[in-house]
Amino acid sequence: MASVSVSGLTHRYGTEVKVLDRIDLDVADGEAHAVLGGSGAGKTTLLNLLSGLLRPNSGTIAFDGRDLKDVDAAERNVAQVFQFPVLYPGLDVAGNLGFPLANRRWGRVAVRQRVGEVAELLGLTPLLDKKTRALSLFEKQMTAIGRALVRPDVALVLLDEPLTAVEPAAKWRLRQALQRVRRELRLTMIYVTHDQTEALTFAERITMLHQGKVLQTGTPEDLYERPAHEAVARFIGSPGMNLVPARVRNGELCIGGQSLCPCALADGDCVAGFRPEWASIGDTGIPVSVRSVRPLSTLGGMQVALVTAEVGGATIHVRQPMHAADNGQARVRIVPERLVLYRHGRRL
Amino acid sequence: MQPSRNNKAWLAVAPVVLVVAFSAIVPLMTVVNYSVQDIFDVNTRIFVGLDWYRETLRDPRFLEALLRQLSFSALVLVLEIPLGIWIARAIPRQGRQTTVFLIILAVPLLIPWNVVGVIWQIFARPDIGLLGAAVSALGVSYNYTSSPVDAWVTLLLMDVWHWTSLVALLCFAGLASIPPAYYQAAALDGAKGWRLFRHVELPHLRSVLTIAVLLRAMDSLMIYTEPFVLTGGGPGASTTFLSQYLTTMAVGQFDLGPAAAFSVLYFLLILLLCWIFHASVMRRDA
Repeated sequence: MASVSVSGLTHRYGTEVKVLDRIDLDVADGEAHAVLGGSGAGKTTLLNLLSGLLRPNSGTIAFDGRDLKDVDAAERNVAQVFQFPVLYPGLDVAGNLGFPLANRRWGRVAVRQRVGEVAELLGLTPLLDKKTRALSLFEKQMTAIGRALVRPDVALVLLDEPLTAVEPAAKWRLRQALQRVRRELRLTMIYVTHDQTEALTFAERITMLHQGKVLQTGTPEDLYERPAHEAVARFIGSPGMNLVPARVRNGELCIGGQSLCPCALADGDCVAGFRPEWASIGDTGIPVSVRSVRPLSTLGGMQVALVTAEVGGATIHVRQPMHAADNGQARVRIVPERLVLYRHGRRL
Repeated sequence: MQPSRNNKAWLAVAPVVLVVAFSAIVPLMTVVNYSVQDIFDVNTRIFVGLDWYRETLRDPRFLEALLRQLSFSALVLVLEIPLGIWIARAIPRQGRQTTVFLIILAVPLLIPWNVVGVIWQIFARPDIGLLGAAVSALGVSYNYTSSPVDAWVTLLLMDVWHWTSLVALLCFAGLASIPPAYYQAAALDGAKGWRLFRHVELPHLRSVLTIAVLLRAMDSLMIYTEPFVLTGGGPGASTTFLSQYLTTMAVGQFDLGPAAAFSVLYFLLILLLCWIFHASVMRRDA
């Protein structure tokens, strides 16, 4: 395994706009790192640059401090698991698992032994002599993961939305299996996804990519509690963070024309963000107009509703016991300590 | 629920049935009818049973033509399939060049058979033909009108020139449909050259290659025009294939009965070979 260090990575296809723009990324040895972003964020391009399938226009990539500028894809010891299971159709499961080793001229006995170990680890042993056609999607993707892990010298495992193609019931099992092998083998993994749940549950640290730029890198808690950018705030969480127009006046933060708390920032407009769980509808606080009250779930006999309301032209969501909310005029109370303030999209 | 019977549906199929009947079934049955009779003139015909079949199968000239035919088809497949795959792999997958390559490849397929024969007949002439004269100038004795080996080489070259494009175009379509992720995985797994071809490309080419082999096998088993124009079946009978012998028999000698029996056997042979091939592919797929 290796640590990965990327700096100033820029890439464009042809003369078009930059797909990646000065990306910096550091992944420690044995870390599970997720790259999160919507479509067109540049996630797949980043993976292809890391694996060496693409060469960057500028910037450097280094594994364990070794610059990979002139190192071929095959020599980088990178393995990748793709969105849909990529298996070699003519080979059985054992043949697929051993394929990277056979290409590197391993002996037959050594290949069989190593394939046996990996199959044991992933629970693929009963499938070893099956044709890939006969496998379920889950088994196919497990085989593809096994092939990625088979080389003992693999420096980095890239996962490109590996749960996309699997049936929903198997997603959980596959995620469990991934977590387990990662812990057991201490693999350096970079997991690319547009699904925040996958990223938040898989990774130790997450990099949020948006339109070719890194918006934030941090632990899942960092990204959830202290999003560095409005786009991160909106993307993460379900529903995302509430963002309402606010103003700092005479050392006081005001939302909806009402003073909320003292604020040390310079006077001027800004955007205040808070998670739905840090606000509640009641008799005191900032006036809002409630647009809808939608039942969410029942927790311990209490119905929880998602309340949608409007403050100063912005829509907010609050989770609330069902009985405590009603359409019409109401007031919302926000926990001031949990507020995050933004100016020009960035956290202050 | 009981499927409702709608006899009017037959009406809708009737035109197709009629066309197929006149284009295939009626002529075929006519041939079968001829093959069991000895025909002297329109009113004088004698039923002879399977005599013509027996005679055809004992005819040494038929058996020789059959052997030549099978050898020719085998050589055509051995040459054109690997060459077609090789060309398809060499064509760039995308970009402006691709179109140019595809158009150039398609050109031989657009030339009528007899024109192909004429082109090669001139091209390979040892006195004025570009190829023939060039080879002769190199000091190699080459003359397709006198040497059976030269005649075969010229015929094979002509067929390869005419039809390898078809295999190449089919394979190119097959290669173009391989998702890029397979190539990426192979690159990361360190598969190059033969192993990349064997484990990534070839499995994905199976269905197009089935079609290519079937088309080339059927077509080469039926070859008539090009050798007729190029060599006329000679020198001697060295390039007389089944179709040409059949034509001599039916049109040249008016042996309608034996020719009909010959035709039925010929038809069954092609059908049988293609069926065996198809069945073996299907069985491996199952």
